[in-house]
Amino acid sequence: MTVKRITFLQELLGLLGLGGRLGLSWISSAEAQKFVQVVTDFTQKIKSLGPNPLSAFPEKRKAAAAGLLLEQSSVMPA
Amino acid sequence: MNNKVKAWLEDGTIDVFLGYKEVDHHPLPYCFTKERLDEVDDLLLSPARYSLEKIATHMTDEEPDIKIGMLARDCNSRALNVLYLWNQLNPDNVRTVNVNCCPSRLKEHGDCSYLEPETVGAYKRRVGVDNNLALKDVEAYDETERLDRWMYEFQKCIKCYGCRNICPVCFCKECSLEHDELVRTGPLLPDVPVFHMVRAVHMAGRCIDCGLCEAACPMDIPLRLLYQKVNQIVMDLFDYKTGTSVEQPPFSILGDTVTLEPKPIEPLKVINNE
Repeated sequence: MTVKRITFLQELLGLLGLGGRLGLSWISSAEAQKFVQVVTDFTQKIKSLGPNPLSAFPEKRKAAAAGLLLEQSSVMPA
Repeated sequence: MNNKVKAWLEDGTIDVFLGYKEVDHHPLPYCFTKERLDEVDDLLLSPARYSLEKIATHMTDEEPDIKIGMLARDCNSRALNVLYLWNQLNPDNVRTVNVNCCPSRLKEHGDCSYLEPETVGAYKRRVGVDNNLALKDVEAYDETERLDRWMYEFQKCIKCYGCRNICPVCFCKECSLEHDELVRTGPLLPDVPVFHMVRAVHMAGRCIDCGLCEAACPMDIPLRLLYQKVNQIVMDLFDYKTGTSVEQPPFSILGDTVTLEPKPIEPLKVINNE
């Protein structure tokens, strides 16, 4: 169930362009080595993907709104 | 058709019939009853559509044994299938009059307001997601562009809950979209994209691709496209075709009960051996 649920979410986030930022792994408490490996790999992966693009959106939104205003003012006669 | 509906109402096969009637030149959903039988002559066939099965669900809520007849396009029938599966309606209490829908090789005549989708403006085409695009065209954008475009769409949301309220298969008593710990209620604007993602996840195995959410959306967010992706994942991952039959089990990946109350942590018992 969990694996399907997570795969579902991965696919859905992929549509938004947020793919690769959600991971799932089963690690027993006896598998310390595996735990270290998984966490290290995922950390590296996340680092290579860069910071969460969603956090940039308030700024982008302002920029877009400004762009729209400019566009309109250039269309409208002064 | 009108005679059939009249006959059903007269002999008690159904108590009410849900269809459309023109009121002040607007085709509106209307409930025809035995008491006003001559009104059935005004029963209207037009491209107008509404989630009649949602009205049926509300009626059944109030009066579990009511027998309901309704006009059904293909999308209505799919929604009915989902509602039967989830025990919201009893198939024995529902009679449908099937009417034409999307044209296909089998049915050349189509009769639905969705057949001529509205064209979108130049600005939206440039920075947003065109409602008329196919899923694969959206996925052809690269990742950053896709996120920008979807976020442009989601940020327009005014949290009117129109998509949920019109949805024929949204019948939950408690809605996650009004759960303060998941999606904050009250203040505008909604958390984007959380609001739409929560709804998208809940549409898994429910959405019957009627497109009414998109038609209802005042901000023109391409919701149908988003839920088509949900349906595609459900199809690929679980081989589940939502709404196609009543022979399949209801689909749920959400789990049975969700409790978000913090559980008390029992204090450790300190054993004092002294």
